[in-house]
Amino acid sequence: MEHVSAVLLGVPYTLLVTVVALAIGAVLGLPLALARRSPLAVLNVPARVVIDVLRGIPPVVWLFIIFFGIGNQFVTLDPIQAGSLGLGLISAAYLAEIYRSGLGAVHSGQWEASSALGLSRTDSMVRVVGPQAFRVALPAASTYAIGLLKDSSVVSAIGVADIVFQATGDSRATGAALAPFLVAAAIYILLGTPLAIASRRMDSRLRMRVAR
Amino acid sequence: MNADLLSNWLEWLPDLGRGLQTSVLLAAVSLAIGIPIGLLLAVLVSSRRAAIRMPSIVLVEIGRGTPALVVLQLVYFGLPNAGLTLGPFTAASAALALTTAAYTSEIIRGGLEAVPKGEVEASQALGMSYRDTMRFVLIPQGMRIAIPALVGFGILMFQATSLAFTISLQELLSRAYSIGSSTFLYFQVLLLAGVLYLAITLPSGWLTGRLERRLSRHL
Amino acid sequence: MEIVRDPQTRTGSDAVDVRASAQPTDRLEVSRKGPPVVSLKGLSKHYGENVVLDKVDLDVSAGEVVAMVGPSGAGKSTLLRCINLLEVPDAGTVTVGDQCVDAGKEVSAKDAMRLRRTAGMVFQSFNLFPHLTVLRNVSLAQERVLGRSRAEADARSMELLERVHLAHKADTYPARSSGGQQQRIAIARALAMDPQVMLFDEPTSALDPEVGLEVLAVMRELAESGMTMIVVTHEIPFARDVSDRVVVMADGGIIEQGEPHQVINNPQHERSQRFLRAVTER
Repeated sequence: MEHVSAVLLGVPYTLLVTVVALAIGAVLGLPLALARRSPLAVLNVPARVVIDVLRGIPPVVWLFIIFFGIGNQFVTLDPIQAGSLGLGLISAAYLAEIYRSGLGAVHSGQWEASSALGLSRTDSMVRVVGPQAFRVALPAASTYAIGLLKDSSVVSAIGVADIVFQATGDSRATGAALAPFLVAAAIYILLGTPLAIASRRMDSRLRMRVAR
Repeated sequence: MNADLLSNWLEWLPDLGRGLQTSVLLAAVSLAIGIPIGLLLAVLVSSRRAAIRMPSIVLVEIGRGTPALVVLQLVYFGLPNAGLTLGPFTAASAALALTTAAYTSEIIRGGLEAVPKGEVEASQALGMSYRDTMRFVLIPQGMRIAIPALVGFGILMFQATSLAFTISLQELLSRAYSIGSSTFLYFQVLLLAGVLYLAITLPSGWLTGRLERRLSRHL
Repeated sequence: MEIVRDPQTRTGSDAVDVRASAQPTDRLEVSRKGPPVVSLKGLSKHYGENVVLDKVDLDVSAGEVVAMVGPSGAGKSTLLRCINLLEVPDAGTVTVGDQCVDAGKEVSAKDAMRLRRTAGMVFQSFNLFPHLTVLRNVSLAQERVLGRSRAEADARSMELLERVHLAHKADTYPARSSGGQQQRIAIARALAMDPQVMLFDEPTSALDPEVGLEVLAVMRELAESGMTMIVVTHEIPFARDVSDRVVVMADGGIIEQGEPHQVINNPQHERSQRFLRAVTER
């Protein structure tokens, strides 16, 4: 039982890093997705390189580059800042691809119909295509968010006091090597399951609305 | 600075190259063990018998719900308590294989479900048993459909080998880190490590895209 | 071309006597006298509120060719799929050859498999196995279900592929064949199991009219060779010229059946008049 209370101390940090990283990713992912879809090579080629490089290097390596590399030699960052920033940038790349496939899934007839009605490109995007793309992208985005909750455990490697960090500390302090990690596993599963259920519910609600 | 960086990189490359080898080997072993177990779990999860299906689903969900890092800690630090001590490489292989099994079982199940239902009916109409239908019709096609997603997962698993840094396996990241801690050139050496990861993940990613297009053309 | 080979060259060991009477003598003669190969009694099936089959009885004699016509949703395909238990009826009995299944009791997977072995089925969408060559498509179930050796099965498959004029496709994959060719391969695959009856579920509906003709030609030859056949179809000329009996289904039941020209040219039931007028007058 004392393992549970010790490991639970990490939950706020895990949630904090996950939410901040998602927020960064959700915002930065949008221009990245639009640039990636642009017909202009000056926009889509760099966007593609950024996305591929962000996704091609393991998250923990990014955190090390940011925390030990940039943090030691250029600007000083604390572990939470470095962790949120690193995971946020990676999330931007993944979410950009999710947005992009959502936009791609909206039938081109929708663009044509809105421009035939005289809507500007921006209006078409914001009022017609965007909402539909959001609907399409939502399941993938929520799957990603649930995945990120677990993957955020890598921030323990740079010293963020998250669930895994607490489990490791508790294990060292008490000498119990199995229980703290089992508790950590259980907490991740308990955190992830309601999120999965909520996203499924939201998905079916949105589907009903779009079908109508 | 650029000439410096280049000469540093050349100096570190052999050491990091050995680390990369370990990472690639670890990924290969984990996938080679994990994917067959994933296939088995996919078949069990697709079972019509609830007594087989339900425990398999629970197993898969636990496997997918637990971060690979936690599985790794459990196997390496936890199992010795239960009387089973594994070396870093074995522990990392076992942990990543478990994660692989849980994830790939869902990918493979998706592949099995994507096989047109009419083909299952055709083999039933020919009098074939459930087992034979699975073996000769569903699994060969389901696996083929799952290949692009499996390769994609394989790339993520290769990236996940970097987590073995935490159990002091001498893979790419931990070699880069130890060079960093002795030279204090963290940024430069970690950047090289990143480039080496990219050297594997980028071509594999392109390969997946091509594979996807090829396979969708055939099916 | 003769699709049902004579008993001497038959490779299947479990061929049943019934088929000996189905030899290409006078087909009509045989069909009227042969013992029933398929016998359905009181067959019922519903999905929720929706009654798809309502206590249907049907006997099909050895060598008889039965064409089942009727509006969509009449239950024709469901009836056909109940014969080899792809759908399990809610009530009634299904007898094929010497295999009998009572839907009122628990139907085991074994019973279903045994019954399916005696009935060959051809689907609207062919359902060939795309990952296997044409030859393997035809041979697989012979090896796994009938226990034939690979050589035996392949020899038999080649024989059947020759009879549907597709021996040259043996080593290619199904995707390389046209729809009509795929359907002929599917017919060869079903025949390879030495079925006592062949069930056709709208075999030409997914095909261009022209391509459908080559499949119908194969079916006609099959019928002339004495094979017992039940064909769900919208091809009225085929029903009229090839079948021995036309069965009209509507709303989950058989509303009219009889001699093809009689039923098609001069239907008695108001519902069949309406349906047949609609399909023949377009």
